[in-house]
Amino acid sequence: MKRSYVGVIGMCAILLLNIIFTQLLVHQFFYQNYDAVLIYTGINIILFPIAILIYKKESRKGGRISG
Amino acid sequence: MTERNGKIPKKDDNYTHNINKNNERQIDRRGFMKVVAGAAGVFAVASLPWGGIAAKELMGLADKEYPRQKITDLKDIAVGDSVTFSFPSEHDDALLIRLAEDKFVAYQNACTHLRCPVYWVKDEQEMICPCHHGKFDAETGAPVAGPPRRPLPEIVVEVDGGAVYAVRVRRYEA
Ligand code: FES
Repeated sequence: MKRSYVGVIGMCAILLLNIIFTQLLVHQFFYQNYDAVLIYTGINIILFPIAILIYKKESRKGGRISG
Repeated sequence: MTERNGKIPKKDDNYTHNINKNNERQIDRRGFMKVVAGAAGVFAVASLPWGGIAAKELMGLADKEYPRQKITDLKDIAVGDSVTFSFPSEHDDALLIRLAEDKFVAYQNACTHLRCPVYWVKDEQEMICPCHHGKFDAETGAPVAGPPRRPLPEIVVEVDGGAVYAVRVRRYEA
């Protein structure tokens, strides 16, 4: 079955962004830049519903997915 | 029929790993998507406490003033020597160094790399972290070698009546 990889690539991007922003978050926390910490926390939280959205879309489109 | 049932095929004739599950080591597209979506959730939840503490700090709720704390008597620390103490809480190890007759510096000595305790090495006039050979400048607390990137938090000290006191922890300049 041939399908586009948009969903998978999007998911990988989410994972990458999560890792990047988590690292920034921790570093800025120790640097006591608390505004930056709040921004990064917000981004990490927003990324979760986006991931769910991509997941939902992908499973709807795919129906039964064969391995 | 009966004899066939009693026979165990050769490839299944073992006691230790006789469970067969198809593709148990394989991950399909949906499995991958599920794992990453779950990971995103974990990242989101894990960010919360950091954000919470940051918000608390920003609202000034965490701005506690610590009572000044005696570190040592002047006569107990020679020029070029160091003493360890804890400030502000008993879990925050710190290091006081007497650089000159009337020059004292103090830092929280948890290394800014992975929090190993940093020592004052008199012969090299540097603070050294034994874990991965991080080095810090004694005058400023800035990292000069090794993995650490962030300066050690400085503690403001005060000499008063023959003793040295820790007053507060200096914030990083934003
Ligand atoms: S913990 Fe100090 S250099 Fe790694």
